[in-house]
Amino acid sequence: MSRSSDQITTAQAAVIIINYMLGAGILTLPRTAVTASNSPDVWISVLLSSLLILLAGFVIVKLCRRFPGQTWFQFVPQITGKAIAFLISLITIGYLLTISAFELRVMAEVTGMFLLEGTPMWAIVMTFMWVGLYLTTGGIGSIARLFEIILPITLVIFIITFSLSSGLFEINNLRPVLGSGVIPVLLGMRSTTLAFAGFEIMLIIMAFMSSPQKGMKAVTWGTIVPTFVYLVALVMTIGGLSLGGVKVATWPSLDLIRSFEIQGLIFERFESLLLVIWIMQIFSTFTITHYAASLGWSQLFDKNIRPFLFMMLPVIFLIAVIPKNISELFMLGQIVGNVSVYLFGTLPFFLLIISKIRRKGETSN
Amino acid sequence: MNQSARILGMVFICSMLLTTTGCWSNDEIEELNLYVGLGMDVAQESKFEKQVNEQGGHYPKKKNMTVTVQITPPSSGQKKNQNSSSPQGGKSYLNERLTGDSVVQILRQFALRRERPLIGHHLKVIVLSTELAKKYNLEQLLDYIMRDNDIRPSCLILISHGSAVEALNSSEPGEIPALYLTGLFDNRQLSNKILPAMSLAKLDGMMQSGSSFLLQNVITAEGEHKFSGAGIFKGTSKKWIGSLSQTDLEGLSWITGKVRTGALKTYKPRTGDTITYEPKVTKSKITPIVRGDQISFHVEVASRGALIEDWSSPQHTATESYQDELEGYFEDTVREQIRQVLYKMQETYHVDVAGFGEQLRIKHPRLWKKVEKNWDEAFSKANVTYDVKINITNYGSSMR
Repeated sequence: MSRSSDQITTAQAAVIIINYMLGAGILTLPRTAVTASNSPDVWISVLLSSLLILLAGFVIVKLCRRFPGQTWFQFVPQITGKAIAFLISLITIGYLLTISAFELRVMAEVTGMFLLEGTPMWAIVMTFMWVGLYLTTGGIGSIARLFEIILPITLVIFIITFSLSSGLFEINNLRPVLGSGVIPVLLGMRSTTLAFAGFEIMLIIMAFMSSPQKGMKAVTWGTIVPTFVYLVALVMTIGGLSLGGVKVATWPSLDLIRSFEIQGLIFERFESLLLVIWIMQIFSTFTITHYAASLGWSQLFDKNIRPFLFMMLPVIFLIAVIPKNISELFMLGQIVGNVSVYLFGTLPFFLLIISKIRRKGETSN
Repeated sequence: MNQSARILGMVFICSMLLTTTGCWSNDEIEELNLYVGLGMDVAQESKFEKQVNEQGGHYPKKKNMTVTVQITPPSSGQKKNQNSSSPQGGKSYLNERLTGDSVVQILRQFALRRERPLIGHHLKVIVLSTELAKKYNLEQLLDYIMRDNDIRPSCLILISHGSAVEALNSSEPGEIPALYLTGLFDNRQLSNKILPAMSLAKLDGMMQSGSSFLLQNVITAEGEHKFSGAGIFKGTSKKWIGSLSQTDLEGLSWITGKVRTGALKTYKPRTGDTITYEPKVTKSKITPIVRGDQISFHVEVASRGALIEDWSSPQHTATESYQDELEGYFEDTVREQIRQVLYKMQETYHVDVAGFGEQLRIKHPRLWKKVEKNWDEAFSKANVTYDVKINITNYGSSMR
C-alpha cells in the first residue's frame, strides 16, 4: 500500500540516488570506458562526467521545486499538456522497466557464471524478483530504510576488496597522463557518463522528501559517492590489469579481485564478497526502478500502486530474457544509458524553460 | 484467525525451512578432483592411450599436445587404472595425461576416465614446455584457460626446459610439485635471479599490449627442480624464441630495478679472492633520449647494500679507500652483467623485455605511437648507455 504519508529525509534521498547509480556498471565500467577511449586517462572522464551529471541534477531539482509534492508523472501534464505528457510518461516507464530488466539479467548472468553454475536462471531470477516485490510493496519509506543499510556495507566491503588488490597495482599502467591529448578523455566520457544513469530518480523521489529545499544537497552527495567508487574501480583495475588486460576482460573489476589470493587473512579470495555487495547494489537498482515504474502507472491512471507492482513483475522478466546473448545484453545497457542521457539530461532543461515561460508551478522565490 | 489455522500456518512456514537446507547443485568436496597444476607438452601418447586406441577407443583429433593435470589428493582405490608416468609410492598427487588438440576437450575427456569431476578453482600453476611454446602461439594455448570461469587469473605460468610433466613430478614423498613451484616464486626476496611471478591476469595484459615478455624457466634433473633463467616470448608471434640465463636475469634485474636482494659475487683482480655484495635497496631509472629520429636510452642504477663476504687475506679493515676499491669491482661486475643481457636482447634475439619501451611510451607517447608496431626492431638499433653506482653501507656483523 503506498502511504501518502511516506516521507524520506535528505540523507535517504541521497542514498537512493547512490544505490540507483551503482549497479551493473561497477563490474563493466573499466572495460567500456577503456574501449571507448583507448587510454588510461578515463579517470579524468569520470570526474568530468560527474560534473555534467551535477549540472543535469541541478536542472532537475530546479524543475521539481516548482511543483512541490508532485512527481514527474504528475507535473509534466501541467507543463506540456496531457497528450505529450502521456507520451513522456510512457517513455519514462518503459525506460525504468528496461533498466530494471537489464540489471536483473546482468545479475543472473554473473551469478550463473561465477556463483551458482548449476542453478537455472529462472530460480535465481524468481527469488530475486519476489524479494524485490516484498520490499516495494512497503513503499518508498521501506525502500529508503533498506538502502540505508545496504550502502555502508557496500562501501566498506568495496574499499576493503579493492585496497587488497594494491599488491597488483602498477602506476606505470596509468601513465602517461594525457599522453594523447584530451580527445581520449572526451571519448571516454561517452561511456563514463552512462555509468551515472540514475540521477533522474530525483524527478520522482523529490516529491517524497520532507525538506525538498535540500534537493541539491541530496543530488550532490548522490553524485560524489558514485564518482569516488568509479574512480577507485577504474584506477585500481587499470593499474592492476593494465590497459590491454582490461580491454579483453568481460568483467574487469571482478577479474581484478580474482587475480590475487591473500594468505593469512580469514579469506584467501574476495570475489564472492565483491559479488555479494554488487548483487545488493543490483537489487537496489532493480527495486527502485520497479517501484518508480509502477508508481508511474498508478499516477497516470490515478489508481492504487499495488496491482501495478504485481503486474510489472512479469513484464520486467520478459524484457530481461529478450537479449539473446551477452553482447546483446551489453548493447541493451548501452541503449538505456544513452536514453537516460538524452531523456533526462536535456528534457528537464526544456521543461524548465517552458514552465518558466508559461508560468506554471510555483516560482522558488 | 482461529487457533487451528494459525497452527497450520506455522507448520507450513516451518516446512518451508526444509527447502532452504541445501544448495541447488552442491558437490561434496571429497567427491571432486581438484587439479592444482596443469602441464602442456608436445604430443606424446602414453601407453594407456596407445592401447586404448588399438582397441578402437579413439576420437577424431590431431595429436598436437599432451596435457597433464596434477590432481591432489589422489583419490584412493584407483590403483588399477594407474597410468601416470611415475609409480605411486607415497605420493600426495597424481599426474594424469591425455593427448589431443583442444585443451577443454582433453580436460573433458577425463570425465570418461575418472569418476570424480575435475574442477579448476584451485589451479595454481601452469607449466608449458619450451618445445610446445616454440610451436604454438601462447595466446592460442591459453585461450581456454583465460575464458574458463573456474580457473582464477591469479594462476601462475612457467615454462619448463624439459617436458612439463617432468616438472610436475617430484621424487620427494609428500611434496606436491605444483605448490612447490609456486612457492619458489616467494623466494624472490632471497634472489634476484627469479622473475616476478607472472599470473594469468598479468600475462593477458602483456599479450594484449603486444610487447615481448619473459616467463620463468624451470629445469628438472633427477626428479628435482630448479628455477633457472627465463624464456623469451616475442610480442608479435607470442612464441618462444630463446632464453636468458640466470646471470642474464641478474643483469636484467639491475636494469629494471626490481632487485629485492641477491648475491653479487666477483673476484678481486690480483689475488682472485671472492668478494660478495648483498644489495639492500636498489633503484634504477631508464631515461629515453630522443634526438630527431634517434632514440637512445640511459640507465642509471644505484644500489646500497652490505659487503657480506670477503675472502681476502690478510683481512682488510673497513677503510674508506678499501671500500671505494671494492665498490669499483662490484660496479664493473654489474656493468658486465648489464652489457651481456643488453647484447642478448639487442643482438641475439632483437627483443625488448626490460621495459625500455614502457618508459618511451610514458615519456614520449606520440613517438611511441609511431614505433610501437615495430618496437623490438627499433630497440635493437637504439643506443643504450648505463651508469652504475654501488654503495657499501655496512659490513654485516663483522668489522674485521
